[in-house]
Amino acid sequence: MAEDIIRVLYLDDEEPNLFSFKAAFRRDFEVHTCDEPHKAVRMLDEHEFHVVLSDQRMPRISGVEFFELIMPDHPDISRVLVTGYADTDAVVDAINKGQVYRFVSKPWNEEELRGVIKAAYALNRSRVSSALQGHQVLSALDGFAEELGRCAADLAAGGDGAVESVGAELRNLQARMVDERTRYGKWMEEQKAKS
Amino acid sequence: MVHCPPYGRVWALTLSVFFGGLLLSGCSDVGPRNVDALTLEVLHDPGGNLRAEEVHLRLAALDTLEGERPNLGSLTDAMWIRVSGWQGAPRQARIILDNPTLDSIEAMVIDGPRVLLRKQAGAAFGQVDDLIPTFSLPLNESHDLWFRVRSAKPLVLPFSLTQEDRVATLREKRDLAVALYTGIVLAILIYNCFLAFSTGQQAYFSYTFVVLTVGLVQWGFNGYDRLIWGHIPWLARNGLTMTGAASGLAALSFAREFLEVRRYTPRWNRIINVLLIVYSSAMVAALLGFPIVAYNLVNLGALSAPAMLALSLISWRKGNSPALWFFVAWLIFIVAVTMQALRDFGVLASTPFTALLLPLGTVIEMLLLSFALGDRINLLKRSSDTANAKALAASLENERIVKQQNAELEERVAQRTEALAAANADLSGALDELKGAQDQLIQTEKLASLGQMTAGIAHELNNPINYVQSNATSLRRDLEELIEIVDAHSDALAALAEGASGAAGLTDAAREKARKLDLGFLKEESRQLIAGILEGADRTARIVGGLRVFGRMDGDKPVEASLSDLLEASITVLGDRARSRAQIEVNLAEAVPPLYCQSGKLSQVFMNIIVNAVQATEGRWEEIEDRKVSVELDRVMDAHGKASAIIVKVRDNGTGMDEETRQRIFDPFYTTKEIGKGTGFGLSIVKGILDDHGATIRVESRLGEGTAFILTFPLDIVTNPNSEAA
Repeated sequence: MAEDIIRVLYLDDEEPNLFSFKAAFRRDFEVHTCDEPHKAVRMLDEHEFHVVLSDQRMPRISGVEFFELIMPDHPDISRVLVTGYADTDAVVDAINKGQVYRFVSKPWNEEELRGVIKAAYALNRSRVSSALQGHQVLSALDGFAEELGRCAADLAAGGDGAVESVGAELRNLQARMVDERTRYGKWMEEQKAKS
Repeated sequence: MVHCPPYGRVWALTLSVFFGGLLLSGCSDVGPRNVDALTLEVLHDPGGNLRAEEVHLRLAALDTLEGERPNLGSLTDAMWIRVSGWQGAPRQARIILDNPTLDSIEAMVIDGPRVLLRKQAGAAFGQVDDLIPTFSLPLNESHDLWFRVRSAKPLVLPFSLTQEDRVATLREKRDLAVALYTGIVLAILIYNCFLAFSTGQQAYFSYTFVVLTVGLVQWGFNGYDRLIWGHIPWLARNGLTMTGAASGLAALSFAREFLEVRRYTPRWNRIINVLLIVYSSAMVAALLGFPIVAYNLVNLGALSAPAMLALSLISWRKGNSPALWFFVAWLIFIVAVTMQALRDFGVLASTPFTALLLPLGTVIEMLLLSFALGDRINLLKRSSDTANAKALAASLENERIVKQQNAELEERVAQRTEALAAANADLSGALDELKGAQDQLIQTEKLASLGQMTAGIAHELNNPINYVQSNATSLRRDLEELIEIVDAHSDALAALAEGASGAAGLTDAAREKARKLDLGFLKEESRQLIAGILEGADRTARIVGGLRVFGRMDGDKPVEASLSDLLEASITVLGDRARSRAQIEVNLAEAVPPLYCQSGKLSQVFMNIIVNAVQATEGRWEEIEDRKVSVELDRVMDAHGKASAIIVKVRDNGTGMDEETRQRIFDPFYTTKEIGKGTGFGLSIVKGILDDHGATIRVESRLGEGTAFILTFPLDIVTNPNSEAA
């Protein structure tokens, strides 16, 4: 799992910063950079990213505002705020509202930032896999409900051997539900172990 | 203090006058005798038309005259008097009529209708020197001796018979008496005249008139006035009346002065006025040609004598002590006049002594009045001395009081001065406190702008520092990989040179390493990283360069600086405090001459105004695209094409302000910001700095439209902000 490619997007209005960032982290992550907020929004729509970083102070729009903008469409992406000057009020507000995962000040410490990005990726993964598990459990439950309905209909129609066939189907359904339960239990244990 | 008249002197005077009187009477003791022998018969001639030739026809109308001094009274009629009884007298004997006041006397010797002899005497005939006319006896004792007499004055007719040689003696003695009298009067007159001028007292002037007129009247009674004006017929006839009226006027005026009538007896003033009118009327009547009326008016005026007597007594009783003198003098005068009257009416014997009573009385009166005046003047002087002494005492007391008050005043002034000094000290203490508070506020404002600056500078610097540092790290890693590739290649080259068996493998490995590490990309990236480092270093240097402008926020040393640089530096240092909040359009004209200024302070001015402009736009617009601030720099040319001033214009499309705010923005403590957000000192300091530079600041603003700050820096004025800021 650690070998997964981590896709990172960095938004900053100052181009030299973008280049530095790419040079620093290109070996560890798949780095994409952008100096225009609206371009960044388009890139997020077109590709899947795990982590997005933004400078706080930009003309026209601040980093926090940018995050607010993308949250509805990309709730799972981990958001990291980078700023050259401790605009404390804005940062505290953003973190409290859950718009920002981490806050990093310029000049950044490369190791620290790498760790932050990795942790952010992990958060993203866990969010994504949680969502996936949820989907799987829900669709399994949907399947079970559908089959139970069909059994009930067969039983009502009656006929020769109806009891035996419905009984066999119910036993089969039970076995599949136990399997699903076991699988989810295993995933839960995995998640616990990860964190 | 009661004033006592000097009685000793009074007695001395009285005695001397008495003996003087005896002497005079001795002189006069030559009166004619045998008067009883003469018989007088009178004939009235009312029209005065009777001729001498007709007199014998009127003998039946003759009346006998009784007494030695027959008095017919004042009449306009001519009187014919037949004198008889002289018959048998010696040849040398003469008839005399001793009344010099008679205007005309004609003596005639008549025999039936014939007039044998005629002699004229009296002022009316221009005779001025024969004051005692003598008439010869007729040669024939059967002839009649007639006198025709006519006068405006009382017809007193003292006829007498005397010897010729005795007449001369009589004349001499009369002259001597009058001369003596005149001498006394003149002495008194001159003496009082002298006193009048030396003392300047009004009473003395009045008194000299009294003496003069009384003397003249006495001359008139004796006919001596004719010596003065006898040749003027009108005066010869009216002189005595006029001088009598004048003496009345003078005496009344003097009485008014001397007795201080207005002060002691104001009611009497009216009576005096009435009497004055009587005398004045007499003079007027005489002038209008009514001599009889005039004479009677003067006689009426004689009422003033008892009036003055009563007045002086009353005045004396009221405390006017010199009035006693006056009373005595008038008393003597009245006695003399009364005796004269009694003599004229024949009650008193007409002796030489009684003839002298009137002049003697007037002399005594004049002398007494003279002494009275002296006494009064002394009294006045004494009272004036007393008053002076009192005034002196009062002024000494005043001086003492003034001195005391001065001392008190000085003390109070000293107290007040002390209090003022204390108040002054308090005030200067309060002023110092205020100045301290103001300094503190100014310091706060400086710190606030320093804080703004620091935030901007931190952000501006952190970006380049970030990529310089990051690039250096990346470059080191790239370098290591490059070195790794180079090492692999040099190993392969060495093996090839030695002809070693594994050389081919090493070459492949080196090639593989270069491919794997993407040598081309590494080379390109290294170059770019180095470029980034250089760019970052350059940018840092630029910011720090701009910062040098602010290095001397308090630096007072004026330097020659480019306002263009200062504006750019200010905007740079403000950084995203300005640029990320509004659209800032900077338009700096080239060829703007440098300005001799305190650059740090001017940067503070520019930053303050620009930040205000940005904040004003934030208050009005939601979107950054709508917020517009423009910063302009330009120069103003004069007529000779030389730059005369530099203009800095900062314009915004923000909220703008109303007139009241616009007028108050430069006031210290005035702020439109929330409490705690602004010191209210920013623009006040801006104004102060600009004033120090001789620059002006103009504000154009309209509510809801925007504001423009226009700063004008004159170039022609040589300013030295250092000296002003010191």
